[in-house]
Amino acid sequence: MTKRISIDPITRLEGHGRIEIFLDDAGEVANVYFQVPELRGFERFCVGRAAEEMPVITSRICGVCPEAHHLASVKALDDLFLVEPPPAAKKIRELFYMAFFVTDHTTHFYALGGPDFILGPDAPPSERNLLGVIRKVGIDIGRKVIDCRKRNHEVIKTLGGRPIHPVGGVPGGWSKPVEEEQRRAIEEVARQNIGFALFSLDIFNKIVLSNRDYLDMVLSDSYLHKTYSMGTVDDGNRANFYEGLVRVVDPDGREFVKYSAGEYADHVAERVEPWTYLKFPYLKAVGWKGFVDGAGSGVYCATPLSRLNVSDGMATPLAQAEFERFYETLGEGKAGGRHRPVHHRLATHWARLIELLYASERMLELAADPEITRKEVRTIPDGRVKVTGGVGCVEAPRGTLTHHYVADAKGVLTKVNLIVGTTNNHAPISMSLKRAAEGVIGKGKPVTEGVLNRIEMAFRAYDPCLSCATHSLPGSMPLVVEVKAAEGRILQTIRRDDTGRVGGTPPFLRKAPGAEEESGS
Amino acid sequence: MSRTIVIGVGNPILTDDGVGWRVARELRSRLADRGNVDVIELCAGGIAIMEALVGYDRAVVVDSMEGGGKPGSVYRVAPDGLEGTRNSACAHDTTFRAALETAGLLGLALPGRIEIWGIEPGDVDTFGEDLSEAVAHAVPRVVDGVLRTLAPSRNPKESA
Repeated sequence: MTKRISIDPITRLEGHGRIEIFLDDAGEVANVYFQVPELRGFERFCVGRAAEEMPVITSRICGVCPEAHHLASVKALDDLFLVEPPPAAKKIRELFYMAFFVTDHTTHFYALGGPDFILGPDAPPSERNLLGVIRKVGIDIGRKVIDCRKRNHEVIKTLGGRPIHPVGGVPGGWSKPVEEEQRRAIEEVARQNIGFALFSLDIFNKIVLSNRDYLDMVLSDSYLHKTYSMGTVDDGNRANFYEGLVRVVDPDGREFVKYSAGEYADHVAERVEPWTYLKFPYLKAVGWKGFVDGAGSGVYCATPLSRLNVSDGMATPLAQAEFERFYETLGEGKAGGRHRPVHHRLATHWARLIELLYASERMLELAADPEITRKEVRTIPDGRVKVTGGVGCVEAPRGTLTHHYVADAKGVLTKVNLIVGTTNNHAPISMSLKRAAEGVIGKGKPVTEGVLNRIEMAFRAYDPCLSCATHSLPGSMPLVVEVKAAEGRILQTIRRDDTGRVGGTPPFLRKAPGAEEESGS
Repeated sequence: MSRTIVIGVGNPILTDDGVGWRVARELRSRLADRGNVDVIELCAGGIAIMEALVGYDRAVVVDSMEGGGKPGSVYRVAPDGLEGTRNSACAHDTTFRAALETAGLLGLALPGRIEIWGIEPGDVDTFGEDLSEAVAHAVPRVVDGVLRTLAPSRNPKESA
């Protein structure tokens, strides 16, 4: 029996990521909880504003993926104001989005997820970052990463109108057309991105797939969960990040449901648990059966891995070839003409690189499309407002992102609901943490730094962005693991944040003790 | 001519986390006649800030900062004075210090002087565009302080 955890203000202020591991009387893992602090007042902040403010507001929720919120928001406004953007506008939006995807996936692979493999799961945490990757693999790799970020940020700035917090998207289209000179520059960026994505896949091949120990780790039961998979597909059932239908396949790969963004509430419900502010979305038609996998449980996953699992293939040639290799290497054959899903969560890192390649190729297609420079980039809304509200959906790097706005006849917001990418994965993340903990903790063995990292690896695969899952700012995410006895007594605490400080949500910067304090004037 | 960048960091819609932006906005208008000073706002973590610094001779970074003082306390630190957690558990980026070290390894041209101003926040858990009172009071102090440090030096030896 585990004891229910109540969250008091002190624990809430502890930090962003808290993992609580409850042991049973025999000293085995009974339950694992992942806690984050709650931020307040987002709906209240929005209600009463003009709906068209939302693309700018929501892009500020989070410093990590303003572009995803911006696009989900303008698509929700398209729907709310019953307006269809011209073809060029849709293509500009998608082009802008591909530049963002390349940047985001690159940063994750080299700064966050990849270091576990490149430096090894037992490397000290101070080395398991971009700095460590550069020291191990060489300066050239660091330059490539920085160059990749730089050239794509330039595209985001050109199209989005600002370096951060884009303003390009407007209901019914985009605020300005793309000039031929800009198009040529973006086309060149896309070509470089393809080269960079292939280079990254090559690194993954050499370092992970060619290493038997790593491959065994990827394929081990410690990181396996057979859940439903979610992702957006085009009309040929190929992955698409900007538009299409949301497709869900069951753990064996059979299509379970396919629906348009506006129907999300018919298919997805959110489970509330007493021990956390996080909500746990699940498939309504299957129902909530707790934190368990299998076809009988409504838990689903929305990640780069699940997006491949729902797709019959990739829409670009190089990514398609890599898709086939992925399933040939990790999959368990075909069923009903489709590859059976891969459920090994660490394979998400490879899936992310395939998406990096797809985003790069798609970016080139769009940049080379003659229609992209057409001047018709906006359909002006005619003043109608859809009574049931507008829903916009994109695939964010961390999962399907849904914005839903309801407004009155004048377009003033009365209700706002967001389901952000990471939120989809709250239940699978909790399950993966438990599975990983079970693999390394038990029988009174001491919990070490290495143990902590094995548990961390389980959630890093999901690339969880707590920034907007909790609507909080990005920054250092101190991780605290507490091992507790059944009655709630803390047996052991490990804090990954090396400041050792307790208390306070972490703003980006932390001052060291003794640093000069201004006396003021 | 020596070039300076001023960066306000934070989330402009998360109450006191918006203080860096507020200071930046104020400084932008006060420094408008200084052709060699750029003022920008950023919302992201270490790598993005490091990237923004490249090519400048001098930098001032302003953000909310936990220093253990009362809300509105003002801190002034060098990058060495930050408790950079170099761990990989960072949300989506490295810390500022790790990013600066990365730049060093890559041979990127970083400013010779980087100065960080921090303001102790009160509330960073609630959405809102207004600063809490104590933090709002700190804004003019920080603005004046930054302006003083950026005033053209009277001693030629000091101009780096």
